[in-house]
Amino acid sequence: MTTAYTAGSQGQSGSRLRGIVAAVRWALRKPQFWFGASIILPTLIWYWMFSFRPILNALRLAVVQYRVLNPAASKFVGLDNFFQLFEHPLFFISVRNTLLWAALAFVFILPLSIFIATCLANIRRGRNTYQAIIFVPVVVSLVAVSLLFRMLMDPEVGMFNQILRALHLPESRWLAGTSSALPTIVAVGSWKGLGFYVVILTAGILHIPEELYDAALVDGANEWQRFWRITLPLLGHTLLLVTVLLAIGTLQEFTFPFVMTRGGPGDATYVYNMLIYSEAFEDLRFGTATAAALLQFVLILFISLVQIRLLRPRWSY
Amino acid sequence: MAATEEIELAGPLQGSRYRPSPRRLVGQAILHLVLLVMSFVSVTPFVWMIFASFKHFQELVRSTALLPKVWTLENYIEIIGRVNFPAAFSNSTIQATSVTLCSALTSAALGFIFAKYRFWGKEKLFTLLLSTMMIPFAVVLVPLYITIADLKMSNHLSGIIVTGLWSSFGLFLMRQFMESIPSELLDAARIDGASEWRIFFTIVLPMATSALAALIVFIFLFNWDNFLWPLVVLNSPEKQTLPLVLAGLRSLYWTRYEMWAAGSMLTVVPVMLIYIFASKYFIRGLAMTGLKA
Repeated sequence: MTTAYTAGSQGQSGSRLRGIVAAVRWALRKPQFWFGASIILPTLIWYWMFSFRPILNALRLAVVQYRVLNPAASKFVGLDNFFQLFEHPLFFISVRNTLLWAALAFVFILPLSIFIATCLANIRRGRNTYQAIIFVPVVVSLVAVSLLFRMLMDPEVGMFNQILRALHLPESRWLAGTSSALPTIVAVGSWKGLGFYVVILTAGILHIPEELYDAALVDGANEWQRFWRITLPLLGHTLLLVTVLLAIGTLQEFTFPFVMTRGGPGDATYVYNMLIYSEAFEDLRFGTATAAALLQFVLILFISLVQIRLLRPRWSY
Repeated sequence: MAATEEIELAGPLQGSRYRPSPRRLVGQAILHLVLLVMSFVSVTPFVWMIFASFKHFQELVRSTALLPKVWTLENYIEIIGRVNFPAAFSNSTIQATSVTLCSALTSAALGFIFAKYRFWGKEKLFTLLLSTMMIPFAVVLVPLYITIADLKMSNHLSGIIVTGLWSSFGLFLMRQFMESIPSELLDAARIDGASEWRIFFTIVLPMATSALAALIVFIFLFNWDNFLWPLVVLNSPEKQTLPLVLAGLRSLYWTRYEMWAAGSMLTVVPVMLIYIFASKYFIRGLAMTGLKA
């Protein structure tokens, strides 16, 4: 609507004003305008209240010493919150645990989900049924899964160790062991998340044009070659999406360690988001908590950009 | 497995002359085997939990049998009586349902507008709204809590409802879908004198049913499951949602695993019922977003 008016009246300001008035009148008469405005206006208000303003406030909170009882008197402290954070005894431990968590999740999830997705894409019957079953853990409540595996992994009476005992295999301390806790909890998280990535990857593989496989078949390529030379390279966009989602998800893990281990034993599963939570709502240091969150945002953004830079395919089909 | 395979393939595909090669049959059998193992791994823990919730404590910790020797409902009776499960259930239902309905509606309307309308700054506004998805929730955790506290909504269900009324993810999904609705159809309705509201409710919404169903299931599950935000906003026990009450069992019933199992079942069953009827929408919707992104 505005383009129509600028094209017509680029001359004197008088005619321009008349043009604007005409455009506004014209817009007000359109039913689309009223429908659009009645949806967009509340949208903007909501986004301002519950999204944009909190984000801007976060930038402010990170550089003040927030007083919970008298917020207006909060003192500007510059980058002090960040320095305080670095001195927090659990800061580097939580960063290390979080990065380790993400790395382990990649190792557990990525190869297995590509494998399962390839199987699903090649199977002739029952694909939807298998997919629906493998997706079940994704649907079930995180907290229920946490409790479920704590029961199964109880070192004394848990099912896992009872089975190992019956098979005369060495038992594990699972979540109770300092060195086994983190791999165990990541394995549980991977078990829950796997179906999600399988479904995305299966859709990606099925999206690859059938003719390419036919052509490869004519050229005498075997299944192994077809996987490495066609499926994997052409899956590029989907793989990128999966790796970015995986990194974003695992770097923000909270519920699993909070419910399953409370970060323990010791600080073996203490992750970064637990640090943010306890800074904010146990120690009521809103400033350092928000500073920590901003740091996390920068890290996640950086890692996502690196992934996009390295993995983005330079083609599409 | 291999025998049924042969019959199925020989029948409809190419008449009786078609004989799948033995190699292909073996290949399919291996695929089925792998997927059966995976399905087994995905479901068995839940099956164990279902039966565990009907066992007495002594039996649960001593026996490795899957089925209970003595079936009991005591766990459920005790947990419903002692922990405020009915209240948590209604809190969760109210929260998840209202958020789902509202955000599905706002997402659909915005998706329609961004897909089919032309106005100044449209793409910029769209990018701006979507960019909020990139911000980790932890960044807004404290400022959002302060906002909710200022609005006197902390420790109240409305505090976790109001923050979910719009959804950037829903907006993205619905716009993707609405682009495929033919504009001619909308113009035809306009010429016939239909108002924009009427077009939205009687043409656009019915045409978007499949995407809308996927979105509704996603948002509902996310909210039913949401933990961190309710944990921050809701403090008093009678206001809490199911995940919070369930997590509380850990300290309330220290190693009383039969109670954990019963409580988990009460949380999981409604979701599983929805999933059994709607798994199709789920998987299709997820596959759709994966391909478009």
